[in-house]
Amino acid sequence: MALLHYCSCSTPSSPTPLLPFKKWTPKSIIFTVPALRPLRHRFSKNRPSPRLSATLAVESPTTSDDERGGYSPKILLEVKGLSAVISESKQPILKGVNLVIKEGEVHAIMGKNGSGKSTFAKVLVGHPDYEVTGGSVVFKGENVLDMVPEERALAGLFMSFQSPVEIPGVSNIDFLNMAYNARRKRLGQPELGPIEFYGYIYHKLDLVNMKVDFLNRNVNEGFSGGERKRNEIFQLAVLGADLAILDEIDSGLDVDALRDVAKAVNGILTPKNSVLMITHYLRLLEFIKPTYVHIMENGRIVETGDESIAKRIERAGYKTISAA
Amino acid sequence: MAASIFTPNYPLKPSSSICVNTSPNPSKFATSIIKPRPRTTRINVLTAIASLSDPFVLQIAETLEDSLSSASPPLPLQKLREASSQSLLSTPWPSRKDEPFRFTDTSFIKLSHIQPIQFPPQSTNFLGVSTDTHLPNLVIVDGFLIDSLSQFPQLPNGVFVGTLSNLNSEAIMNRVSEFMSNFEGDLFWSLNGVGTPDLVLVYVPEGCRVESPLHLRYCSVSGGASESKNLPISNPRVLVVVEKGGEIDIVEEYVGVEGEKCYWANSVTEVVIGEGGKVSHSYLQSQSMNAAHIKWTSVRQESASTYELVEVSTGGKLSRHNLHVQQVGPDTVTELSTFHLSSSDQTQDLHSKLVLDHPRGVSRQLHKCIVAHSLGQAVFDGNVKVNRYAQQTDAGQLTRSLLLEPRATVNVKPNLQIIANDVKCSHGAAISDLEENQLFYFQARGVDLATARRALIFSFGSEVIERLPHSFLRKKVENHIKELLDPAVKGFK
Repeated sequence: MALLHYCSCSTPSSPTPLLPFKKWTPKSIIFTVPALRPLRHRFSKNRPSPRLSATLAVESPTTSDDERGGYSPKILLEVKGLSAVISESKQPILKGVNLVIKEGEVHAIMGKNGSGKSTFAKVLVGHPDYEVTGGSVVFKGENVLDMVPEERALAGLFMSFQSPVEIPGVSNIDFLNMAYNARRKRLGQPELGPIEFYGYIYHKLDLVNMKVDFLNRNVNEGFSGGERKRNEIFQLAVLGADLAILDEIDSGLDVDALRDVAKAVNGILTPKNSVLMITHYLRLLEFIKPTYVHIMENGRIVETGDESIAKRIERAGYKTISAA
Repeated sequence: MAASIFTPNYPLKPSSSICVNTSPNPSKFATSIIKPRPRTTRINVLTAIASLSDPFVLQIAETLEDSLSSASPPLPLQKLREASSQSLLSTPWPSRKDEPFRFTDTSFIKLSHIQPIQFPPQSTNFLGVSTDTHLPNLVIVDGFLIDSLSQFPQLPNGVFVGTLSNLNSEAIMNRVSEFMSNFEGDLFWSLNGVGTPDLVLVYVPEGCRVESPLHLRYCSVSGGASESKNLPISNPRVLVVVEKGGEIDIVEEYVGVEGEKCYWANSVTEVVIGEGGKVSHSYLQSQSMNAAHIKWTSVRQESASTYELVEVSTGGKLSRHNLHVQQVGPDTVTELSTFHLSSSDQTQDLHSKLVLDHPRGVSRQLHKCIVAHSLGQAVFDGNVKVNRYAQQTDAGQLTRSLLLEPRATVNVKPNLQIIANDVKCSHGAAISDLEENQLFYFQARGVDLATARRALIFSFGSEVIERLPHSFLRKKVENHIKELLDPAVKGFK
């Protein structure tokens, strides 16, 4: 409890609301208190501890003041104790996920097959296959779990699908036009007609190295794996997002396609928006540098650190993780 | 959501010969057609007739005959009327026990007071036929070709478009005669043969390509009030003859002119395509929602000819399309794309039959239907017959149905009958609601559920609509379907 006390006292100047730590059980924190102190001291002169920031979202006031000259990035997404089951079978998949993402950060989640990574992504955007059974998700200060999927999207959450569905009969440009107009409507701006919209997205094609005829093809119909992934990133580029959740955007891509996709993602990144990547491979992290890497295991985030974790996993596999 | 897809392929080894029929009941014409043979004695014929004649059918046939003008018709028409009356003598009104009408209830017609329409309406100004008149335009009102409303700019030499009574060429008349009463349809086919006031002929001579589409507009003007039992019947009949190497593009459009009247359009179109000829056929049916619409399309394809049909049917309380394509030579290409929308208390029915008797025929059939009303119904019976000599046939058939309301019904019976042993045939049928994961994909991009549903429902039909060969038709159909689907989409929550 010493840790909890310390943390909650350490952010008096933070403009963001404090986390209600009291609800947490010490078990949800993966490292012990004695181990923490030396870590903190080691990092305090450079940057906030990744473990601390990612898991608890608190920083020592001195470091944040030193580094950012009084400006501390806002918390974008705050997930606490999130648990979820498969709607049909009621099988539990997420068992208390905690994660905080701030503006401008790039997070990566790794983990074994079936550890719950993709489920986590889908639950965040409100996929109907899953039912949330506990915990909370706050995005830009709003309770996401109360929102229907389209509201979440309009609020600035974007998930690129691992295997995007084909929609025969609806062209890419019409689909994007609909989605883009939904955003404009929300912002109280007039909707764009097909011709104006074409003018808007035409040059965005270069971002993902796609030809113009790509716009007239039906959404994902007959697309190769690479084209589908490019299309997801293209949608992200056109629609924009405060938090882009990229679910295995690298799987099934050759090196060139991966570079294109990574270039597009990096091009979209600003100090204000953030990325949450789900991946199996270090390769993606070499193109898109993560601020934090999390390891997911059995429906929970069990380890958080920097890129070195990913390197260790790549080298030695997941057996190096001791499940909490 | 119930979805089922089965797409069996039948890789046939040269040695084996099998007959595949996927339906529980093999197709059979339950309405037995027994033609009185000339050599039988008079007594036998009478007995046969007495036992098979349906008094109700005879009564309609009689009133239809009485309504015709007394002027003596051209020979082919006379021949048609005789053959049709003959077959009516032995054809009863179809019941649900007859296989071709197992899912299609025609009692709505039977319970109405059927009246022949004797004359076309005197005033046709209200039809508002003024748009896109740069195209050859044929207006058929209540079954009568109205010359004053029709116009044929720039038709190539030798092309004849008009009624048989106005045809002066003996050669063409003889040609027409060859095709009369070659084909045995059902009761409705024969009723049309007895009741049609004249035959509209479209004749394309050898090697002639008609550039601009020929637009046939069938307008129904006479009609009973929506709750009345009065059912005026019109019997338009069109014969399209395209000689060797000729090409034409036909647009058939059926509309009710004023409000939701009750009437019965009993239409027949015959198409004969000569060697290497090509017919592109667009068929749009947007009749009154209280109308009965029975339509026959019979096509004869000679060698290396091409027939492409795109149908969009949305109107009628009862709409039935009997489509029969007969191959009479090798190397034919047949493409059938049909879209049916049942957006109210209505039945949309397609009975198609494709008979392949010669080698190397290629056929593609796509049928899609949406039932968006709890009392709506769609019926599809798609028969493809690959007979003994139709080797190296490549026949594909696919049907997809979308049921959007509880209790909405679809009866689908795709069936292949294959006797040839070296063929490539496939078929598939799927019935479903909208795909959850497609809806979610829209939502995940910020599009609300109602808009997503509308887009998906609309896109379902657009696969067929996109195949309409002219943009003005596509636009017209798209707008019409949007209108019809709007309540279905709004009603959803």
